[in-house]
Amino acid sequence: MASLSLEGIQKIYPNGFHAVKDFNLEIEDKEFIIFVGPSGCGKSTTLRMIAGLEDISGGTLKIDGKVMNDVEPKDRDIAMVFQNYALYPHMTVYDNMAFGLKLRKVPKDEIDKKVREAARILDLEKLLDRKPKALSGGQRQRVAMGRAIVRNPKVFLMDEPLSNLDAKLRVQMRIEISKLHENLGATIIYVTHDQTEAMTLGTRIVVMKDGVVQQVDTPQNLYNTPCNLFVAGFIGSPQMNFMDAVCKIKGEDVTLKVGEHELKVPASKKKALIDGGYDGKTVVLGIRPEDVHDSEAFISNSPDSVITSTIKVYELLGAEVFLYFDVEGTQMTARVNPRTTLRTGDKAVFALDMEKIHVFDKETELTITN
Amino acid sequence: MEHSQELTKALSELKRITGVALEVADGAGKEDIESTLTQIRCLCAAYKEKYNKTDFLHGLMTGGIPAYDIHERAARLHISAGDPRVLYLLESRNMDEAVDEILKNLFPAQTKTYLVPISDNMTAVLRPLRPGETSGDSRRIARTIVDTLNTEALTRVQAAYSFVIDSLTDLPEAFRETGLALKVGKLFYSDQTVFPYNELGIGRLIYQLPVSLCENFLKEIFGPDIPDSFDEDTLGTVSRFFQNNLNIAETSRQLHMHRNTLIYRLEQIEKRTGLDIRLFEDAMTFKIAIMVLNYLQTERNP
Repeated sequence: MASLSLEGIQKIYPNGFHAVKDFNLEIEDKEFIIFVGPSGCGKSTTLRMIAGLEDISGGTLKIDGKVMNDVEPKDRDIAMVFQNYALYPHMTVYDNMAFGLKLRKVPKDEIDKKVREAARILDLEKLLDRKPKALSGGQRQRVAMGRAIVRNPKVFLMDEPLSNLDAKLRVQMRIEISKLHENLGATIIYVTHDQTEAMTLGTRIVVMKDGVVQQVDTPQNLYNTPCNLFVAGFIGSPQMNFMDAVCKIKGEDVTLKVGEHELKVPASKKKALIDGGYDGKTVVLGIRPEDVHDSEAFISNSPDSVITSTIKVYELLGAEVFLYFDVEGTQMTARVNPRTTLRTGDKAVFALDMEKIHVFDKETELTITN
Repeated sequence: MEHSQELTKALSELKRITGVALEVADGAGKEDIESTLTQIRCLCAAYKEKYNKTDFLHGLMTGGIPAYDIHERAARLHISAGDPRVLYLLESRNMDEAVDEILKNLFPAQTKTYLVPISDNMTAVLRPLRPGETSGDSRRIARTIVDTLNTEALTRVQAAYSFVIDSLTDLPEAFRETGLALKVGKLFYSDQTVFPYNELGIGRLIYQLPVSLCENFLKEIFGPDIPDSFDEDTLGTVSRFFQNNLNIAETSRQLHMHRNTLIYRLEQIEKRTGLDIRLFEDAMTFKIAIMVLNYLQTERNP
């Protein structure tokens, strides 16, 4: 397997469209890297530049230390799995997996060995004689993966490979891909717009927006310490609650005023606000839905972080309940225990876990407290 | 010597299309060779006309077959003239054997899909519409062809597709439209790989304008010194500004650039062109001018 280095990678199309800007990333051997971001953020373009399917307008791409900018895709030792795969309809699973190797004139016994090994890894051994029409969606997807595996590449590139599957199958395939990464010990670069896929699969995640890398970090760090408002809102479902708050500093005491509510900032967060000179300025206060509590014990222990509102929607998901309500005109979500007695129309009191708040600069949208 | 080379070429063509291998006996005179050559060429032409579906479809697409002859020749070749179909044109830097093999296996004979090589880097795929499929499925199929060739042949491919062809007599028009879609798509929408015939927007309009008209339009905007192009920074800034619907605050934020720097750049464009692209009308004119400029450049340096 291989390490990759992307140094100042750029993509500018002839019509002036700047799709990727100054993309820098070092990918270690055996890493599972996820490119995530909204549609049109440049993640697929970056993947296609790594594959050689798009010319690189600027910067240097290295695989195992060798510059690859002008190397033909077939000479880069990569394999790809894309969203719109097609299996050869008249061929068996075995032949579908062997076809690419046959084209490259690989000896028959070597093909056989590689196909059977890939089939074993993907649990397709019993299906090798079947035609694609006799396979389920998930099995077909595994065959598409098998076609990539038999190439034994240095790097796997996957562009939204699960997008065409239904929700249940996606969860199942996500587990399969995770196992595959463990079994193959491969370097994988995976593109998705689905942040759940990104969080569950990646060893590191690259969050992109408008062709610019926003943050590169482990899933846990991205969730706990997002570097800006975009990352904070993009990672996590339901997304982080945001509200405008006015910062008030009196000596050592720092409070955030959201309408009528005054929220006391804990010691761990206030230094950044004091040092940044945010007294009297409007900032953006972010808090994840699971850090908004309705339990009486928590509320009584946190008198300085209480907000009140009326429940607009009660949503029971079985293991948890989402409560939607407004605070000063901003919609908020709380993720609470299903034993909650709150229902739609009830007056409710919540307490925010102030140790878990995120504060962002209103203008630059960068984090202040992380 | 000349005759001998031509004869060898004709014999190999005959073998390629019919599978029949012939040899010329030693000692044949010049007249014999000429007559043999004529006969082999006629044989090839007749064979192609009667049995070769690819040749027929190629001729039909490129306008080499008169309308009155289409149905009869299609019937002789067992091609149903009235089946609804969609034409896909695929272009790749290298349409090599691997691409051919992949397409043949993706669309085996039973699917009644015809693969017609158009040039060294272009292939046409004429695919029947399956029951339940609509024109809306064409994009998905085009996308699948492109993705499969990307992953299996590891080659870059661009594809365009036509409207639904209800009769073979519409094939020449479909070929023209799809060819246009491919050219316009590559020129104006180069960040995409699939170009539907009916989503070419203003690019189609510009592409069909005569060069002299385009030049006059550019002279009107830029004066006698029409720039070859704008630098990447300017184009990138303008492109982002347009993407953000002429919103200065959002554009400067996305470009990590101070608002005043962005305004300065926009004013430089105004100085150069007289167009204040913060205004909708001027922005529209500038956008079209840049597209026309790109088009003329491609026309001059194909």
